[in-house]
Amino acid sequence: MELTYEQRLEALCKTKMQQTREKQEVLLVMDQDDHGRILPSPEFREITEYMGPSGEMVRDAKLNNFKPKSNHPSGGFFGAKACGENFNLFLKAHPVYINPMSSLAGGYMAYFMGYRNPSWPPELASNLEDEQRKYGVYPGIGATQHFCQDMTIGFKLGWGGLLRKIRRYRKLNPEKSDFYDGLEQVVLGVQDWIRRHVEVAREMAKKEKNPTLRRNLEEIAEINEWLISKPPRTFREACQWTVWYQMIARMYNGSGSMGQIDVWLKPYYERESAAGTLTDEEAIFHLACLLLNDTQYYQLGGPDGEGKDTTNKVSFLVLEAVHRLKAPANIGIRVFDGLNPELLRRGVEIMFEDKTGFPKFLGDKGLVEGFVKNGYSVQLARQRVYSGCHWFAIPGREYTLNDCVKINFTKVFEVAFWDMMNDSEIKPSVDELWSRFKKHLHRAVEVTKEGLDFHMKNMHKVFPELVLDLLCYGTIEKGLDASNGGVEYYNLCIDGSGLATVADSFAAVEQRVEKEGLLTWQQLAEHLKNDFKDAENVRLMLSSVPRYGRGGTRADQWAIRIVQAFTKFVKEKPTPAGFNVIPGLFSWASMISMGQTVGATPNGRHAHAPISHGASPDPGFLRGGSAPTAMAVAVVSVQCGYGNAAPLQLDMDLGLARGEEGLAKVEALIKGHFELGGTMINMNVIDKKQILKAHQDPSKYPNLIVRVTGFSAYFASLSKNLRQLVVDRILEEET
Amino acid sequence: MPIRENLLLKRNNCTRKTLTPQTAKGTIFDIQRFSVHDGPGIRTTIFLKGCTLRCFWCQNPEGIHLKPEVMFYPDRCIYCGNCLLACPNKAHVVKEDAHVFLREKCTACGKCAQTCYAGALVLVGREMTVDEVVDEVLRDKVFYETSGGGVTLSGGDPIVQYSFSRALLKKCKKVGLHTAIETAANCQWKILASLLPMLDLVMMDIKHVDSEKHKKATGVSNKIILNNAVRLSKTKKPLILRVPIIPGFNDTKSEVEAIAEFVKEFSNLEYLELLPFHRLGEGKYKALGLEYSASNLAVPAKEKMRELSEAVKKLGIKVRGN
Ligand code: SF4
Ligand code: SF4
Repeated sequence: MELTYEQRLEALCKTKMQQTREKQEVLLVMDQDDHGRILPSPEFREITEYMGPSGEMVRDAKLNNFKPKSNHPSGGFFGAKACGENFNLFLKAHPVYINPMSSLAGGYMAYFMGYRNPSWPPELASNLEDEQRKYGVYPGIGATQHFCQDMTIGFKLGWGGLLRKIRRYRKLNPEKSDFYDGLEQVVLGVQDWIRRHVEVAREMAKKEKNPTLRRNLEEIAEINEWLISKPPRTFREACQWTVWYQMIARMYNGSGSMGQIDVWLKPYYERESAAGTLTDEEAIFHLACLLLNDTQYYQLGGPDGEGKDTTNKVSFLVLEAVHRLKAPANIGIRVFDGLNPELLRRGVEIMFEDKTGFPKFLGDKGLVEGFVKNGYSVQLARQRVYSGCHWFAIPGREYTLNDCVKINFTKVFEVAFWDMMNDSEIKPSVDELWSRFKKHLHRAVEVTKEGLDFHMKNMHKVFPELVLDLLCYGTIEKGLDASNGGVEYYNLCIDGSGLATVADSFAAVEQRVEKEGLLTWQQLAEHLKNDFKDAENVRLMLSSVPRYGRGGTRADQWAIRIVQAFTKFVKEKPTPAGFNVIPGLFSWASMISMGQTVGATPNGRHAHAPISHGASPDPGFLRGGSAPTAMAVAVVSVQCGYGNAAPLQLDMDLGLARGEEGLAKVEALIKGHFELGGTMINMNVIDKKQILKAHQDPSKYPNLIVRVTGFSAYFASLSKNLRQLVVDRILEEET
Repeated sequence: MPIRENLLLKRNNCTRKTLTPQTAKGTIFDIQRFSVHDGPGIRTTIFLKGCTLRCFWCQNPEGIHLKPEVMFYPDRCIYCGNCLLACPNKAHVVKEDAHVFLREKCTACGKCAQTCYAGALVLVGREMTVDEVVDEVLRDKVFYETSGGGVTLSGGDPIVQYSFSRALLKKCKKVGLHTAIETAANCQWKILASLLPMLDLVMMDIKHVDSEKHKKATGVSNKIILNNAVRLSKTKKPLILRVPIIPGFNDTKSEVEAIAEFVKEFSNLEYLELLPFHRLGEGKYKALGLEYSASNLAVPAKEKMRELSEAVKKLGIKVRGN
C-alpha cells in the first residue's frame, strides 16, 4: 500500500515524540533548545553527568565505542590536526540512522565536545579569571561557533569539491598543513559516514515490503551516493546536503546557525517547480524532514543587500512545514517596510494557532541602522542575518562569539555597593554609588575585552572551528581558522544582563533612602546582608518603588543611564588587540546561574534569586498585568544601538489574537516596536490553565512548548527552577 | 436611591469653563495601555471616576463614585502596622489579632495606602491634569499609528467629569489621536453634544428598552438614555452600541430583539455588541466594603450568547458577541 506524505509525516512526528520522551527519561532535564538529537541505542550508550547552566546536574549520553586520542600530557587533545583526526574517528564510530518514513537520511546521537577533557590546555590559563569572576563576567574564553557559515559554498562544491579546495590551498600554504589536516579529516569523516548510510539504505530497501518506503530507501541510497562527493542537484538533495552539514556542525561544537534557507533553496525550488518535477506538498515534506533532523536557526524574508524583499515561495513553504510539525523550530521573520505582508500575517497566525513560540520577529530597521554605526555599509548590514538565539551574523564572512560573552550588571552593582559602604572615608550617597558603579562597570568591560583577546589569540590552537571553517570565505584560502583571522570581519559581542534588577535597585535607594529618608544606608546594608530576614516590610517598601518598564519613572531613567554607560564603555575603544566589540542585552537562560552568585539587592530581590532577564522589566512591573506596549516601549528605550539585539520578551494570552482584528493588532504591536528601533521579539502564546496544570505534573504535558528566553523548549524538559520562572511570570499577569 | 453624581451633573452647567491642560484636573482610577477589546486598534483607556447609574452587576465598582476611595485586600496584609500609625482618623485598628478597617472613619486622604508597601491598601482615584494623562497616553503613540487605535475615555462614565473630559479630548485631538468614549449617555444632550466635536467614535450602552425594568436594575429610568441614543443616531459620528447581557434582566431573545429593533434604523451604527456578564469584579466589591448583588448570577453560556447574536443578525443588524 502506498503511503502519502501526510501519513509519513504523522509517523515521523510520532517517532520524534517517542525519542523526546526517551530523552526526558534518560537525561532527566534539558535546559537548552530541544535539539533533534537522538539517543544512541543502549548498547552504544554511556551516561555521564556534569553541572548545567542553571546549576543543576545535567546528564548526557555518549557513544561508548569512541575514545579520543590524546596529544597532550593533560590527557586532552588540542589543535586542528588532533581535533580533526578525533572527529574523524568519532564519525567512524557514529551509528547509521535511517528512518524509512523520512526522505532524508541521518540522525545524530552524541556531542563531540563531551569528549574534550580537559577542554583547555592547563598551561594556557588566563590570569583574568579572578577579576572576571568578581564582576560576574561570562568571558566566552574557549567558546565555540556562534557565527554563521555560508551554505551556498557547500551547495556549489559538495564534499568532494571542498576536499579538492583544501588540497589545492594546502599546496599554496604548506606551513599551514596542521590546519589543512584537520579540515581534511572532517570531510573524509563525513564522506565515510554518508557512504555507510548508502550501504545501509540499500540493505533496508531490499527488505522493505512497503512500495513507497522501498522506493524512498532506494532514492536515499542513490542521492547519497551522489552526495558523497558531488554537489546537490535538486531541492531534495540540497535538503539532504544540509542535513549532513548541520549534523556535523552540531556534533562537532554545538553549532545551530543556518541563516537564509529561503534564499539558498529558492533556485532549486523554482527550477523544479517550473519543470513540474516538484510539487509544493513534496517540498514541504522534505523541509519538514530537514526541520525534524534538528532545530537550526533560520531567517525568513527580509531585505537583500539592495533592500529588495527576499521573501519567495520557499519562505511560505518553510513556515508551512513548521506549522505541520508543531515541534520546536527556530525560525525568525525579518520585518521591514518592504516585507511581503502575507509572510508576516502567516507568521502571526501560526504563532497563535500552534502556540509553540514560533516564529520570532526580527526588527530590520534597528538592526541595520545600528550595525552601520560600526562603520559598515547598509548593504552589508542587511546581509547580517538571523542565525542564533538572539543574534545575527554575516554568513561566511564574520566571526562574532555572539551570546557567549556576558557581564552580570547585578554583580557589578553589588561590588560597587560594598565598595562604597566599606569606604570609611566617604558618606554614602546615590551619586557616589553611581560613580562607583560606573567605575566598576568600566573595569568589567575592560577585563572582558582583555579576555576576548586572550580567546582570539589561543582558540585556534585549542579547538578550531573545523566545520564552520569549511563554508567561510578566506579560511581555507588563507589556511587560517575563523577565530584566527580566517574571515573578513570581527565584531565580538558583549551582552549585559540583569538590567532591570539594577535599575530598580538604583531607583529604590534613591527614593527610599535618599529622598524619603525611610531607611539609612547602614540599615539598608544590614538588611541586604541578612537577606531581609524578619524585614518583609522593608523588602516590600523597596520593591514597591515604581519599576523600570512603567514609563516615566526613576527606574526607567536609571535603566537608560546604565545602558548608555555600558554602551559607551564597550564602544569607546576596541579590544587592546583591536577587535571591534558590539554591545547588546541578553541573558539566555543564565538569569538563574547569574543570580546564584549575587546577594540580596535593594530592589527587594532575595539573595541568590534569579536576576532580571536581558532588557526585560521585572515581572509585575505594572500592577495588574504587563501591557505589551509598555514592555515594548521600555525595551526600545534601552537598545544599545549597534546592531546587536536586546530582545523584547512577550508572553501573550491566546485571547489577544481573536479573529482577523486580533491578528492585525498583534501585527501592529510588532511593527510599532520595530518602527521605534526594537531589534527582536520573542513571543509566547500562553494558555494559562494549561501551563498551571503542567507545572503540577509536567510529564502529563510532554508536548507543551514554552519560550524560555531566546528559545522555546518543552516545558516538561525544563529544570524545576526554569519552570518556576515561567509559571511565576504567568501568575503575575493574573493578579 | 439618590445618586450624588446625578445631582452633580445637574448642578454643573455645561458652559465652557476656562480649563487649561495644565490646570484641568480629573479623578482617574486607572489607565490601561494595550486595550484591545474595546474599539478599533490598540488603545489606551482612561478610566474616570463617577457614574450616574447604579447597575447591580457593575464590573468596575471602584468607578461608581466620584470621590477617591480606599480598597482593602486583607489577604495581602503582612501586619506591619504602618497604616495604624499613618491614619489621622484611626480608621485602622487591630481587633482580636485581626486588622479591621473602619471605613466609616476614613476620609480617603490616602496616607495609609502610601505606607502600605504590601499593596493591601490601595487608594483608587488620583487627581491628574490633562497634560499628565496625555503624556501617559502618548507613550503608545506609535502603536495607535500602526494599528489605527487611539485613546478611549471610560469609567465610571466620562460624562460625570465632563469639563475635564472635554479638556482632555480637546488635547488628544490637538496631538492627533483617534478618540472614543464609553458612556451610558444618561445626561443632558448638550453635555454629550459638547463632547462630540472632539470624538471620532461613541460607544454607548443600551441595557433595556423597558423603562421600569431599567430603573429597577440601574437606579435610573432609560428615558434620557434612549432619547440621547436617537439623537446620536442623527449625527454622523460612528456609533457602537453595547448590551451587557445580564441573566434574569435582559438575557431573553425578546428583550435583546427589542433593543435591536430600537437601533435598527440607526444609520451610523457600526455594530451592536453583546457583552456577556462576568464576575471578575467581585473581589473589588469586597475590597470596597460593598455588597455584591450579582453574586448569584451565572455567566451566560457561549451557546446562549450565540443564540442572541443570531437573533440580532436576523434583524439585519451587524452584531458582535463573545
Ligand atoms: S485613607 Fe486616610 S483616612 Fe482613610 S484610612 Fe487611610 S489614612 Fe485613614
Ligand atoms: S500597612 Fe498594609 S500591610 Fe501593613 S498593616 Fe496596614 S494594611 Fe497591613
